[in-house]
Amino acid sequence: MLQTSGYEVSAVADGQQALEAIHSHVPDLVISDVMMPRLDGLQMLAALRNDPRTSALPVLLLSARAGQEASIEGLLAGADDYLVKPFAAAELLARVRANVELARLRNHQARWRTALVDSLQEAFFVCDERGAVIEINTAFTEILGYGPEGLPYEPVHPWWPDIDAEPEAHRQVETAFRQLLDQTHGAFTVPITHRRGHRVWVAANFNHAEDPDSGRRVMVGTLRDVTAEHYIVQRQTALASLNQQLAQADTLDDALHGAAEVLLRVWQARRVAVVTFPRTTAAESVTPELICAGDPTQWVDLPSRQRQLIESLDDADLLTTATAEAGTAGIALQHPRGVLVVWVELSEQRPFTPEDHTLLTVLAGQLGQGLHRVHQLDAQRETALALQHAILGPADLPGGFTVRYHPASRPLQVGGDWYDVVDLDDGRVALIVGDCVGHGLAAATVMGQLRSACRALLLEQSSPSAALAGLDRFAARLPGARCTTAFCAVLTLGTGQLVYSNAGHPPPIMVHADGTTVTLDGGHGLPLARRADWPRPEARITMPARATLLLYTDGLVERRGSSIDDGMDRAADLVQDGRSHSLDEVADDLMSRLEPGGGYRDDVAILLYRQPAPLEMKFTADINHLAPSRAALRSWLAQAGVEPDQIVDVLIASGEALANAIEHGHRDRPEGTVSLHVTALVDRLHLTVADTGAWKAPRKADTNRGRGIPLIRGLMEDFAIRSNDAGTTVHMYTRIT
Amino acid sequence: MATPLSLNTDRGVDGTPRVVAAGEIDLSNIAEFTRALTDASAGTRGPMTVDLSAVKYVDSAGINALFDHADEVDRLHIIVHPLLFRVLTISGLSEIANVESAQASPREDNDI
Repeated sequence: MLQTSGYEVSAVADGQQALEAIHSHVPDLVISDVMMPRLDGLQMLAALRNDPRTSALPVLLLSARAGQEASIEGLLAGADDYLVKPFAAAELLARVRANVELARLRNHQARWRTALVDSLQEAFFVCDERGAVIEINTAFTEILGYGPEGLPYEPVHPWWPDIDAEPEAHRQVETAFRQLLDQTHGAFTVPITHRRGHRVWVAANFNHAEDPDSGRRVMVGTLRDVTAEHYIVQRQTALASLNQQLAQADTLDDALHGAAEVLLRVWQARRVAVVTFPRTTAAESVTPELICAGDPTQWVDLPSRQRQLIESLDDADLLTTATAEAGTAGIALQHPRGVLVVWVELSEQRPFTPEDHTLLTVLAGQLGQGLHRVHQLDAQRETALALQHAILGPADLPGGFTVRYHPASRPLQVGGDWYDVVDLDDGRVALIVGDCVGHGLAAATVMGQLRSACRALLLEQSSPSAALAGLDRFAARLPGARCTTAFCAVLTLGTGQLVYSNAGHPPPIMVHADGTTVTLDGGHGLPLARRADWPRPEARITMPARATLLLYTDGLVERRGSSIDDGMDRAADLVQDGRSHSLDEVADDLMSRLEPGGGYRDDVAILLYRQPAPLEMKFTADINHLAPSRAALRSWLAQAGVEPDQIVDVLIASGEALANAIEHGHRDRPEGTVSLHVTALVDRLHLTVADTGAWKAPRKADTNRGRGIPLIRGLMEDFAIRSNDAGTTVHMYTRIT
Repeated sequence: MATPLSLNTDRGVDGTPRVVAAGEIDLSNIAEFTRALTDASAGTRGPMTVDLSAVKYVDSAGINALFDHADEVDRLHIIVHPLLFRVLTISGLSEIANVESAQASPREDNDI
């Protein structure tokens, strides 16, 4: 009857079904019996009135119960009208029409609002004070896949990422949800899971409001699908940090470490491993080089299945992602020395999404280009360093010399200062320290040429004055070389005799064993190439035993606002204080204690020598070498100023150690070697005898040698024997006067 | 290069056997030195003299040979260069043999 009057009617069997039908599609009017199975009319009515979406839905109750009381009860329960059975069809129709019209008028505002909300491009939702979603619009359903039929959506909402599979994403949503409950307004962007299972990123804005009818607090919000933007931003952020790492990297390994860290952050991964498979010739097998970020590991520690997976990528197409197990993916790319495989293990047990694959491909492509660039820069840098070191001079100095070099202009490793030690092969050594005008690259190029020229001149004619005169002529023809200062000396190692000439350079400092300090003021001339006809005088001095000589450039001693003499005095004091220290310790002390606040502003070069240079001998383990080694030690001890009776003590103690090394250390290995190293400090000698054999404690039966150790103990101040797989070392000390 | 050592055996003014050594004594020539000592005493336990005043170096192998020989003969008289006296004292040899420093020897050059 209602249908014939133009109404669309759906009929259900009981109150429960009615509620479900109403939830999925809200009608204009509900006509219900009071008496129904499961849920009766009054209960259904109460449910409708309690639901904010249906609280205003017109309900017409039909009842067999007549009388005012029943009717009032119905109306009190919230019914809009009450009709007692039996009733005339026309009456029902009239009441329906009246109620629908009335409701339409009454609901005009509400429907207008609903229409407005539904027409929004953005998803719209309303939550009650507990966070249950009680109202949504069409766009909400489109973005999340969840429609009004499921309302209300109680927290935890079904679109939250799974707490086990994606704990991090779940945590993000949980944080945002708490913000929604606790703050009066705000915004957040979170990952959620669409009803069909895929990842959607949404940006939401929310506000707290008060329901004017119920007075209850509700949260009203809108949200937008920002998945595409999210991945674009993620890709750009990841690319930017990758590029930054690649730009900062000095070496390929630096770049790989940096890239692994970036990838680790992008995916919040458990581990990112970058594995280099070097190009090899023929069947040679090389262990891949693994660099890893996150959970540390070595190539050999990886499970063999994983190694196979990574190795299979070595042969796969470049820049094509591969994934074998959930939560892992790999990609191969060009490495300057072979193929690089990037392997990502997520901390979450989720599959790699298409977006993840795209991102990995983009980053791998960028990494490949970056590595190529770093490789080129690295090669250039190595070239530059090799050239700088070549300019600076010998890396291996003859024994007994210690140098320190500090260039003023970083990152250059050379400046305008230089030092050089030239072995003249006849028991004499030339020592040079010089200082070109200025510092930085320009000064360094001049310095390098002067250093080489001076070396050549000294090898040709081993007189310091002749060398400086030659350098004058050379410098006059080299732009930027004029006015260079230099100190040049030739030292006879056996006697300590020093011949020197000085071209306007600060005078070297010599400190005797007894602490007396002298400056080498003689042989003084003008800086290089100032006057063609000016003389180059020479001076001589003898370095007594255990005297220390310091050659330096002005950067060590010159300070703004104080005299260079003050600096020289301080340097002399430090050398004096360091008479009983090794030259290395003296050099470190000079460099650190004289350093002005804020560091050296000028180039600094220092060269230290102590007479005599330590004795270093190495020979095959053969008793026939005992006598010659003793002869060499005897003359060295005399040079070191050791008294004759003590020379015998030292000879016998070291002879015992050497004989032990030869006899015991090499009984079964005649090809072994024995070495003797002796250094003189101002008040003591340090002797080291080392062999490549295994120490054998003297045996009682082996009476021939059993007295060696007590002899050493009796003759030396202190001694110690250290033995390991590589050999045995005997350290001996004795005081000298 | 073998260690230089010259050995001479003769008899002293009192007729006791005497070994006069010059040079250096170490592991490489210890056999020679030992043989010279044994030959000089010729199987008897009679007293003998070992003159090391021209020996510039003796290692523990040499000292050991002297110890052994001190057990073989009844009275061993050893004359050493003053610079080596301390070494023989440290070794304890002076307790079982008569070790004498060759201070008075005028022909000895002190350049050791």
